[in-house]
Amino acid sequence: MIEKKLIEKVIDKALSNGADFAEIFVEDTYNSRINFYNNKTKQNIVGKDFGAGVRVFYGTTAIYAYTNDLSEKSLLAAADAVSKAAKGKSIIQPIDLTKKEFENIHPIQIPNNTVSKSDKIDFIRKINEASRNYNKLIAQVDINILEKMQKVLIANSEGLWAEDSRTYSRVSIRSIASDGKEKQTGGENPGGHAGYEFFNKLNPVELGEKTARMAVTMLKADYAPSGKLPVVIDNSFGGVIFHEACGHALETTSVAKGASVFAGKLGKQIANPVVTAIDDGTIPNEWGSENIDDEGMTTKKTVLIKNGVLKSYMVDKMGSIKTGYERTGSGRRQSYKFAPTSRMRNTFIASGKSKFEDLIASVDYGIYAKKMGGGSVMPGTGNFNFAVGEGYIIRNGKIAEPVRGATLIGNGAEAIMKISMVADNLAMAQGMCDSISGNIPTNVGQPAIKIDEIIVGGRK
Amino acid sequence: MYEKEFNFIFDFAKDKADDIEILLSANNSFSVRINKQEIESFNYADAKGIGVRVIKDGKVGYSYTEQFEEATFKNIVNEALENAKYTEDSEIVILENHPSIDTKLNVYSEELDKVDVIKKIKFSKNLEKIALETDKRVFNVPYALMGNSTTYSKIANSKGLDKEEKYNAAYAYVVSLTQEKDDKRVGLEFVIGRDFSKFDAKKMAEKSVEKSTSLLGGECIESGSYSVVFNNEMMATMLATFSGIFSAKAVQEGKSLLKGKLNETIANNIVTIIDDALHPDGLASRSFDSEGYPSQTNILIENGTLKTFLQNTQTARKDGVNSTGNGSRTYKGTLEIAHSNFFLKPGTCKEEELLGQHDKTIEIVALQGMHSGANTISGDFSLSGEGFLYENGTRKHSLKQFTVSGNILKLLQDVEIIADNFKFNMSSIGAASVLVKELAISG
Repeated sequence: MIEKKLIEKVIDKALSNGADFAEIFVEDTYNSRINFYNNKTKQNIVGKDFGAGVRVFYGTTAIYAYTNDLSEKSLLAAADAVSKAAKGKSIIQPIDLTKKEFENIHPIQIPNNTVSKSDKIDFIRKINEASRNYNKLIAQVDINILEKMQKVLIANSEGLWAEDSRTYSRVSIRSIASDGKEKQTGGENPGGHAGYEFFNKLNPVELGEKTARMAVTMLKADYAPSGKLPVVIDNSFGGVIFHEACGHALETTSVAKGASVFAGKLGKQIANPVVTAIDDGTIPNEWGSENIDDEGMTTKKTVLIKNGVLKSYMVDKMGSIKTGYERTGSGRRQSYKFAPTSRMRNTFIASGKSKFEDLIASVDYGIYAKKMGGGSVMPGTGNFNFAVGEGYIIRNGKIAEPVRGATLIGNGAEAIMKISMVADNLAMAQGMCDSISGNIPTNVGQPAIKIDEIIVGGRK
Repeated sequence: MYEKEFNFIFDFAKDKADDIEILLSANNSFSVRINKQEIESFNYADAKGIGVRVIKDGKVGYSYTEQFEEATFKNIVNEALENAKYTEDSEIVILENHPSIDTKLNVYSEELDKVDVIKKIKFSKNLEKIALETDKRVFNVPYALMGNSTTYSKIANSKGLDKEEKYNAAYAYVVSLTQEKDDKRVGLEFVIGRDFSKFDAKKMAEKSVEKSTSLLGGECIESGSYSVVFNNEMMATMLATFSGIFSAKAVQEGKSLLKGKLNETIANNIVTIIDDALHPDGLASRSFDSEGYPSQTNILIENGTLKTFLQNTQTARKDGVNSTGNGSRTYKGTLEIAHSNFFLKPGTCKEEELLGQHDKTIEIVALQGMHSGANTISGDFSLSGEGFLYENGTRKHSLKQFTVSGNILKLLQDVEIIADNFKFNMSSIGAASVLVKELAISG
């Protein structure tokens, strides 16, 4: 992408005021989006993201500059700017760059740019028709195909020189049901670190029907009750609560500041013993997987919690310097416009031994959250708030009528102690996680879990 | 600026596209974040991008690049034309030249771009230092930062439109965490503006601490129906969450609950909501929108009646009205609609009067879950809140986390009093505190 000689010059320049470490990240990304709405292809956009970021460390201070002018003059100016932002004790000599070799564990079978737009639109049309055919209450279907091919080059003063290419394919579907008075939505957003073959493996009719069923069910649902109740959260996107309320607090970005409730808890029981949680970047072609992270380290499988005991945090390079924990290949960023920091990959609660039916049967009166919506968590306190996308009442151990408008409110550290049952039906779902190093693809996941007591905010 | 690039693209597209619009944005920004009195991060950015919108046989296609090379410019024109082929939208898209506004807007401060880096670092360090010293219950200041950004934007089209503008702004942000026994609370204070000399680190730090400590030791609230005061910041948050319902595009696509409600009374008659891209204090002020359409002041809800939606030229043509100058597009995106300075017109009462209006009132000073617990199609919301219980105007105590649920239209109808403590938030959405007759609260 740029010549080795120029990379070396930039690193030299960046170190010239005594920095401890210097790194360059170069990116050339092709983005494509097809937007389909109201039975028509509405908007098509493609484009090129292109630029480089230079980062230096002075102790625990990180300095970052980026530009999208990759001329020698501009890159050296960026390196000069970061070098001058602080002053170090001595000028270190960079180690000669050696090309990093690694196995590509996410092979791409069909490059997305070899498939015609009309094939992609045909695929979208099948989803659209299936959703509309499912029920005449479906008033609108909004479908987007997102494709991204990101080429990266990462080199640093420790001799690292790594290049990788990452392809992402995703379709996002939102069906809207309306009875003329009110509207409810149902959505699915499958994606992979994969080429066009990812779409070929999906069943467009099932996807359309699934989103339509959810929207129609919620349209007919009554409001959810309020109060402290037991809740069964089903597999797949249900893992978003663990991601938001616990995952972020296990990133060294939060741990190093002491802002995490899990800081200093390694080896301690932080969750119910039925809980084992993993963050794994090595699962072939999964949405949150990588070969190398955005600091050039080979990605890993990291066991975060084993039988309720905290085993590891997610650690990037600066996080490692600040906390002393070993890096876990977790340094990630959205693009050259962001300095990397510790982030999640495919993060999930591992399968347990219970059966889904047993979880439901154990509840006299509570909520079954079949599909979670989005949510947020207050950093520092771990207090969270999540919408239930598709919910039902559990009555006398059986799933009963659907309810809408429910939110689950609690505290991450408290909620994982209250997970009393974990089913054996692990599944994952794709999301975009937004944090200080930008918006990145991550998987959330879990089997069905039972939380003994959580605040349900409803309207009744 | 950038005449060479624009001319090259216009020339290359001349015989290929029926019409073309070119949008450029070039941004320089700086930010510094402090942790434990050391610089935690220090960022410079110098980035630009160029995006084209082409019209061919009445159909639109888009493409963009951040690489400024002639070969890439040719590529984006070709790719945009290819994209246009597959667009099935039957709506005719026409590019036009648009007039300019008469006045010169004050959206750029040369002084701000000259503020010394050392001063900015010192300011950010003070934010953290003062917050930590203010109260011994402060156990962490996870965010103490400031930044500033200067953007140059240029838009031109093949119908002769050619406009440019430069604007800048600075912001600062401090978050204090406090603890008493097992109870932990967060206090966030921000400031945004073009005059850095008015940024007061002491005031900000103390305010963030006060916001956090005042909530400590909360009691549970019995679930039920209460009269509620949203303070100015939280009322702005509510408006922000539902601002999208005023977009004509959302209305035309059946995604807004305001569809079919034009000229109907949808709110209490004291409610007036305005979008003003010419507002003298608004940081979203600009002379023209992303289509080059001149900025104007739009009254969306006037004394409770829905008067207009926010339009770009494309949605306006479909509705048979004029654009409101709310076309929004980044070089990386497609044409959408966005608010500028969007606000609820303030009233004349003091906030205390709102709190003393009923026997029992809950004041909401923090909200969470805006993107999950609020349905912008139905208007329903169920959000996690923090705040205080007032009895006959006297603050009794803070509350443990609770949820507040309702519907945005019902809320606007139930507005009883609007205070005078108006404030814009970081996204240029503004409000004063508002008393709402009743909402469902569950503890």
